Parts: sequence; structure tokens; C-alpha cells
Amino acid sequence: MKFRIYRYDPDRDAAPYLQDFQLEVHPGMMLRDALMALKDQQDDSLSFRHSCGEGVCGSDGINVNGRNCLGCITPVSDFKAPVTIRPLPGRPVIRDLVVDMSQFYQQYRAVKPYLIRKDPLPEQEILQSPAQRERLDGLYECILCGCCSTACPSFWWNPDKFHGPQALLQAWRFLTDSRDQATEERLDALEGPYKLFRCHTIMNCVEVCPKQLNPTRAIGQIKDLMLRHSI
Amino acid sequence: MSRQATGLRAWVLQRISAIYLGIYFIYIIGHFVFDPPDSYQAWSGWLADPFVAVAMLLFFAAVLIHAWVGVRDVLIDYVHPIMARVTLLTLTGLSLIGSGLWVMRTIYLAGATVR
Repeated sequence: MKFRIYRYDPDRDAAPYLQDFQLEVHPGMMLRDALMALKDQQDDSLSFRHSCGEGVCGSDGINVNGRNCLGCITPVSDFKAPVTIRPLPGRPVIRDLVVDMSQFYQQYRAVKPYLIRKDPLPEQEILQSPAQRERLDGLYECILCGCCSTACPSFWWNPDKFHGPQALLQAWRFLTDSRDQATEERLDALEGPYKLFRCHTIMNCVEVCPKQLNPTRAIGQIKDLMLRHSI
Repeated sequence: MSRQATGLRAWVLQRISAIYLGIYFIYIIGHFVFDPPDSYQAWSGWLADPFVAVAMLLFFAAVLIHAWVGVRDVLIDYVHPIMARVTLLTLTGLSLIGSGLWVMRTIYLAGATVR
């Protein structure tokens, strides 16, 4: 099977280019396996991130034939040759498929992704009813792979100011958590034209999320809550 | 926060104006399909009805609000140099206000010439 892989080493290359590879694929082979085989057998300078190999760590987000996915859980057989593999779009390339995700993490940090309590903490855990716990389903599963935010045109244009789908999904995860007591502060922090309202419901995030999460719905729920807290 | 352009208000205005535009489109298309004015007098007479005139003025107000939020969004997305953005926002605002004033004049004159 033919692979075309984005190569760029800023120390040596004047410009990025696509390099062609031929690789024998076998049934059940994931994209990550193919990349590892290429690195092992054909070009050991090929650089990419990966770790757990089972869709949990979120290290190997890549752009394959124009679509973001996790290399470790996406079968090669999903694609027609040539399989073009590029780094996640819109991020500065460090080398080959390795990108600088600093802004993505900054946006995540900005939504304060942790419980904020004003009451004194109880001796034991803060209890939730099953219904309250259920509200976190579809939110807590995010692995921060960055597939959604780097597929979002609004994040491409304003990655320094727009939180992006990943961070906003997490903002809603804590807004809707019955144990969190900073709803007003969180909503105030999201006001303004950029942080939340750059979302134009393009829904690329929903399309690419390898965990089948729905950041667009979470963003809608934040807007809804914001409206209810404002009038 | 107060030194920022609005997020929530712009979004809500866009949604509310969209609802009005949707309803008004159904009304106006229905009117022209089932009871089209066949002369200038009919047009004037129709527009002299205060309900028709106010509904139409509200329609244009909704169009202008909707257009302002939409164009503002596009400019915030794509035009990053601050002077270019301010210039384009100003031009957009002026042309929208100008269009609104002209529409008010047109609707007033159309209703005023009825005999």
C-alpha cells in the first residue's frame, strides 16, 4: 500500500514535502503500526508521537486523507491508497508529524478544568445522585488528543483567543458537575466575542472525535446556561 | 469584561432576529402569492396600514441587526490587523445605518402618498 507522509525537519529542510513509501499491510493493521513499521524498516528519521497504542493516551492524533484521527485505533483498511498522513492542521510543526500543542493546552488550562468548591470540603467524598453523575457522561471521556480543536476553523483563525471545542467541552463538564460551585465565575470568564462565541457550529469537532463526544452540543448547553443566568 | 465586544448579546440578537426573519418571510411570500398588489395604489394602500408598515420596519431592523452580527463575526474571524478591522466595521456599520434610514424614508413615503 502506498503512503504519502508529510516530512519537515526545520533544521534541514527549506520547506515541508510529502515523501512516498510502499508498505506491505496486513489485516488488522492500524495506522500507528504502519508508521512504526516504516520507521523501523525504511526511514528511522520519521518522527511521530505515540504511546499507549489503544486510544487512551491521546498522543497520536494525525491527519489522514484530510481527516483527523488517532493513529492507534484507525485501521489502515479504512483508507484507499495513497494514504496521505499529515500533522494535525493549524499547529506549528516541530518535526514531521510532531506538532506544538502549547496553545491547545493553554486553552484547556484557561477553563480551570478542576472542581472549585466554596463550602468547606467534607471529610469524605462529595456524594452525587446517579442522575447527577450521568450528566458527566459524554464529557469526562475526553483524552485531550486535540483532533477536534485542530479540525476547527475557528480555532485555526484565533487559537490564542478562542478556547476551541476541547476546552469548551471541559468547561461544560465542570459547569454541569453538581459538585462544582463556581458557575457564575466560569460563565463570566466565557463572555466576550472570542472564548466561547467564535464557535459557529461548524461541527468538525463532532465529526472527528475518536471518542464520539459532542463538543458542539456542550457549547450549545453553555450558551443556554449563560442566557438563563443573564435574564 | 466590559471593555470587550459582546458575545452573548450579539448571539442572542442574531438568534431572535433570525426567528423574526423566518416568520416574516413566510408572511411576505404568502402575501405576494395569494394577494399580490396589482398597482401602485394597492401598494401604497397596503403600506399605509400601520401594522404592515411596522412589521416591515421591524423586518428591516432585524435584517440590519442580523447582518451586523454576521459581518462582525466574519471580520473578527478573518481580519486581524486592528486598523483594517476597525475601518471595515465602521464602513459596515455606516452602510447598514444608511440602508436603514433609506428604508424608513421609503416606507414612510409609500404610505404617505396614499389617497
